[in-house]
Amino acid sequence: MALELNNYHAKYFYDPVAESFEQGFWDAVKQKKLVFQRCTECGEWSHPPRPMCHKCKCQDMEWVESSGKGKIYTFVIFTREVHPMYRVPYEVVVVDMEDEKVRFISNMIDTDPDEVYIGMPVEVEFVDINDEWPLPWFRKAK
Amino acid sequence: MTLKNKACIAGIGSTEFTRNSGRSEIHMAVDAALAACEDAGLEPEKIDGMVRFGSAGQTTCEFTTDADVARCLNLPNLNFYSEAPWGGGACCSTILHAAMAVSAGIAKYVLCFRSLKPASGTVRYGRPTAVPVDSHWSYSMPFGFSSPTSWVAAFTNRWMYETGATNDDLGMIALVCRENAVVNPRAIFYRRPITLEDYYKSPMLCTPFRMHDTCLENDGAVAIIVTTPERAKDLKQTPAYITGVGMGMADDSFCMTSFYRDKIGIPEMKYAGKDTFKMAGLTPKDVDVCQFYDAFTSLVPMQMEALGFVEEGEGGAFVRGGDRIRPTGELPINTAGGMLSEAYIHGMNMITEATRQIRGTAITQIPNVEVSMTTGGLGVPTSALILTKG
Repeated sequence: MALELNNYHAKYFYDPVAESFEQGFWDAVKQKKLVFQRCTECGEWSHPPRPMCHKCKCQDMEWVESSGKGKIYTFVIFTREVHPMYRVPYEVVVVDMEDEKVRFISNMIDTDPDEVYIGMPVEVEFVDINDEWPLPWFRKAK
Repeated sequence: MTLKNKACIAGIGSTEFTRNSGRSEIHMAVDAALAACEDAGLEPEKIDGMVRFGSAGQTTCEFTTDADVARCLNLPNLNFYSEAPWGGGACCSTILHAAMAVSAGIAKYVLCFRSLKPASGTVRYGRPTAVPVDSHWSYSMPFGFSSPTSWVAAFTNRWMYETGATNDDLGMIALVCRENAVVNPRAIFYRRPITLEDYYKSPMLCTPFRMHDTCLENDGAVAIIVTTPERAKDLKQTPAYITGVGMGMADDSFCMTSFYRDKIGIPEMKYAGKDTFKMAGLTPKDVDVCQFYDAFTSLVPMQMEALGFVEEGEGGAFVRGGDRIRPTGELPINTAGGMLSEAYIHGMNMITEATRQIRGTAITQIPNVEVSMTTGGLGVPTSALILTKG
């Protein structure tokens, strides 16, 4: 079993609170696009977003759509429930994105805990968790 | 100009450590403060400075203010008051703040304290009552990545993958801390031994952590009085000199979720440790006993690597079998039971144990201690401390 939708998603999930410089990320999520921040001057990536490029200090950052492909850098399997929104067991994965120099935290769908390993190729899939919000989850790469 | 040996710990005090204190954080803070004054032989009214725990970007039970404590102790004035932030990372920072204040003549007697009651109070760690989806938590909480156990488990899993450290190695930290707690009447797990079999039988919470990999959740308070060596001469106790102390934040930091660095690790402790050893003019080889912050078992061998007690990747092998880290070993650790088995007071109880090791009054006293070290919490900006006889 991996993370599955249950009634509590609609009940407990509420709008992420974003700073102005993060808004582009969540606007894109609503459109089922995974985007990351890149500096238009020096090309440095940033996630989570920053108000400016931490390398060259330029404030002109752009949103670039991700290929959605990556490899698992590390992961955990929750086996003890901490919140009813998340029925155990479920996996949290920390993914090194393949085409953007960023790391992204998410969950696995359609994947047994025993199948998950460090280095595993994965790809993003958006799942509607309630009427308003899709979330970028991951599955085994095809 | 150095802070080395310009200040010392002159008094330590605590409440009992329990699962249900039956009283408020403020009440426990004041009880611990009075115990520290009694220990030092200091009239409470002489306290003129205070350091409390600040926030970790969100509240982690920092409910008692300096004003609350000052009011209960009838203090006429505080010349100095500050906050050390970042949860358990703050413990040795409070001592750094206090040492700076007394050595610079800003205050004469500074009280550092921590009071918390996650066992019976309104806020429990690791049990989100809702899903706090704000600020940077928006990138982890919606995915059920929502407990300190899981955050440390994630970078522990990677560390085990890279170094070959095993579950047996983690279990050995739990066992050695428990062995030390079993003989310590203050410890919550006093007279309650465990075996490696018990460790493996304890419920898996979040891979690779079982219940016995995680620290206690309890009520209690600890207070520590810092003054100058000159003033300490008029007090009761042998002073524990603050010979080295340091803080570190490292790059790309978040509260417990600094997962975006090339190598996650615990670089905060590398920086804090480097400054601490440099100020003291000492190396890990000089340390006679160390209280390693042990909110989770893996953090002990990981810190041994970060601080240079062992080479990178050798922490698991060093603790294997446990004999090197037992009281009779080459690097005795967490001699009162640590936060895995004595009590979880955000590292402040570890500083009191480090102080007792210098005084020669610990229950599990290591012979001939000259250099006694303590470290702060991991996964957050942190701190480290070396105490000596001056």
